Amino acid sequence: MASIPTLNTLRTGRRGPRLRGGRGGRSLPDSPSNDLNDSIEAGRDHVVQQTDNDASNSRQSAVALGYLNDSFSSAFGTPELQASRRYPIINRGTYVRTKAIDKLVKNFLDSRPNEKKQIISLGAGSDTRFFRLASEETISAKIVYHELDFEANVARKRACIRQSPQLEAVISQARSSGSEYHLHALDLRNLTNKSPPIIPGLDSDLPTLLLSECCLCYLPPDTATSVLQYFTMNLKSSLALALYEPIRPYDAFGRTMVTNLASRGIHLQTLKQYSSLEAQRQRLKLAGFDTGQGARDVYQLYRNEDWVSAKERERVEALEWLDEIEEWKLLASHYCIAWSWRGEAFTEAWAKVEGSRTPAEGDEGG
Amino acid sequence: MSDLDKAIAQLRACRPIPENQVRELCYKARELLIEEGNVVSVDAPVTICGDIHGQFHDLMELFRVGGDVPDTNYLFMGDFVDRGFYSLESFLLLLCLKVRYPDRITLIRGNHESRQITTVYGFYDECLRKYGSANVWRYCCEVFDYLALGALVMGAATDLQPTDATFQDPNSQATALSEPDEIEIEILNSAGQIINRFPRNNYIGSQDLSQISNTPSSPSQSLEQTPSRNGAPGTGASSASRGSSNNTGSAVLCVHGGLSPLIDSIDKIRLLDRKQEVPHEGAMCDLLWSDPDEIDGWGLSPRGAGFLFGADIVKCFNHKNDLSLICRAHQLVMEGFKEMFDNSIVTVWSAPNYCYRCGNVAAILELGEDGSGAGYAPRTNGDVGRSQGGPLAERIEQRQGPGRRYRVFEAAPQDSRGMPAKKPVAEYFL
Repeated sequence: MASIPTLNTLRTGRRGPRLRGGRGGRSLPDSPSNDLNDSIEAGRDHVVQQTDNDASNSRQSAVALGYLNDSFSSAFGTPELQASRRYPIINRGTYVRTKAIDKLVKNFLDSRPNEKKQIISLGAGSDTRFFRLASEETISAKIVYHELDFEANVARKRACIRQSPQLEAVISQARSSGSEYHLHALDLRNLTNKSPPIIPGLDSDLPTLLLSECCLCYLPPDTATSVLQYFTMNLKSSLALALYEPIRPYDAFGRTMVTNLASRGIHLQTLKQYSSLEAQRQRLKLAGFDTGQGARDVYQLYRNEDWVSAKERERVEALEWLDEIEEWKLLASHYCIAWSWRGEAFTEAWAKVEGSRTPAEGDEGG
Repeated sequence: MSDLDKAIAQLRACRPIPENQVRELCYKARELLIEEGNVVSVDAPVTICGDIHGQFHDLMELFRVGGDVPDTNYLFMGDFVDRGFYSLESFLLLLCLKVRYPDRITLIRGNHESRQITTVYGFYDECLRKYGSANVWRYCCEVFDYLALGALVMGAATDLQPTDATFQDPNSQATALSEPDEIEIEILNSAGQIINRFPRNNYIGSQDLSQISNTPSSPSQSLEQTPSRNGAPGTGASSASRGSSNNTGSAVLCVHGGLSPLIDSIDKIRLLDRKQEVPHEGAMCDLLWSDPDEIDGWGLSPRGAGFLFGADIVKCFNHKNDLSLICRAHQLVMEGFKEMFDNSIVTVWSAPNYCYRCGNVAAILELGEDGSGAGYAPRTNGDVGRSQGGPLAERIEQRQGPGRRYRVFEAAPQDSRGMPAKKPVAEYFL
């Protein structure tokens, strides 16, 4: 199976470098406590890996209720979670998040349709985007699609693909039309090593879109920056990033969110640093995506005609009776989509997507 | 100890009672509730509470802060169930208390007391999980259909009786003591200390008479009024408190959501056939679903049920029905309570850290008893005999709104939840 490369090369000696990466690139001298650190670290990693189950469950719930059309979500779902239905505000949030990233991706693929393009999804987990894109007839661009995640998550995904003739068919169909699908078991922190691994199949000359949906936020801020640096330094063409992350940790809802997630062992390590929409824009600009930046919170996205049309909103609101209007506003305003780019390819794709600072952000600071 | 008292003790320990007891309890409750009108009359003193949403431990905290039943009279404005993990225990305890002390506790219906909503928002699943069948859910839903739609609080004192409570911030004590005015609003923390206190200002002579004429035809005039000094969060109180002097009458209407374009008098609420599942539209639906909003007149609700209504609607309704205040719940407010439209309507929210996620505080509203009994007068609750004599006549006739003591409280500490403390998991996007 050429499109899913053998990744044994990446497996060996994983533990050591990963740990070093985990400390944000600072190399500590060996000490007797290393074993302990090792297991604590492994436990934390496990919790982060598990967040994919949560995302997958939310996706399945939104699909089952008709928010999203995704015939692949159940193929990657965890069977015992399949029955659990999420609350309406979670379903709506999953819908907005997916649609917003889809829009940015589609604008990218639709611009210069004859050019081959590359997409790298960080911490992709059970994400179905490649399969949805590959089976969508209106998209003509050839895509080199990479997914990077922990070994455990990649192994699970690979097993799902092996068990599903439907998924296998999509991959081989994509390959025959000139697209590629690469699934890499790779700890992102390894990319911050002095001699980082080579990502097989990565084409440094293609216009490339990086996706991070609740991924970089789990890394220490300097590690997250270094991961982005790996791509800005190694990829030569137009390059962009679209990310989906929590924001606003300092108000009552935000503080409770941080505490609640921490009690589950989930630490949103970059949240305080990139706490507002403007902080996200500035961060991305400084990271080298300096041609343009945009950011909107999920509440804004849902209410904006460019992102969710009135017709779609009407359709979505008819799916479930959503009583929790105030809570929806709270939750949705604590997650954002931020996007930024360098190079012409993305200026063409995204320049018209409104994401600059709004007057309402004025009192929020940068 | 009677069976009922045993059930109360068991539920207070957050342990569900057996199915056959639930059936019996629900039967008794229905017999009691069927005798109540759509709008229950309640005498002050009473403590008014907003949404509970199955947050059992926070309900215990509410009783700790507000006083236990039957020592304190309570009026719960619905939404006992859904979202929290102990809807069953919370609702059954309140129902037991209602059956045990019918005159001490009033329960009215919220939009979550409905078959359709409880299947989406958790109560149905909880019953199924705790009993293995939907029987208990069915018994509870039958009780929901009998809950009153509103309550009318009579005889509330216009000013608060001074308490021996101390100020949270000792510095404000001195300033407060120098003010001999009647107290209109007092805000206390969960330890019973005064956070803030607002005197009533009876002086209305210098005000624009259009303010007190309460003419519904010119709502924008009152909307444009900006208080010169703001009160504590949630009160919307101004130093002049002219809003309350603006209100005529002294009864307080309590309803879960708000007003309906189909209802212009309290008597029209009384005429509804309430003993049914909450309909998708119509007056009964609106009373349970609507929200006040900064608009003129009526607007569409983003909830897909009920309406939005503006200050003009509230002022007109209060005037016509001789009300000084509408008290409602239904909307999460981060400060626990929020007065709007020149203190003519208040939202009370009693579920702290709602859904274990929102980080909000909760509040309850105490209305004191008018010692003179002057507030309790025979009334029609309609517009019969209302003076149409213009601004000055209105001014002579106007009665003051009730004194309002808000107790603000936070979520019950984790360690108060006892063993086994199943840690609630709030959902986020991961």
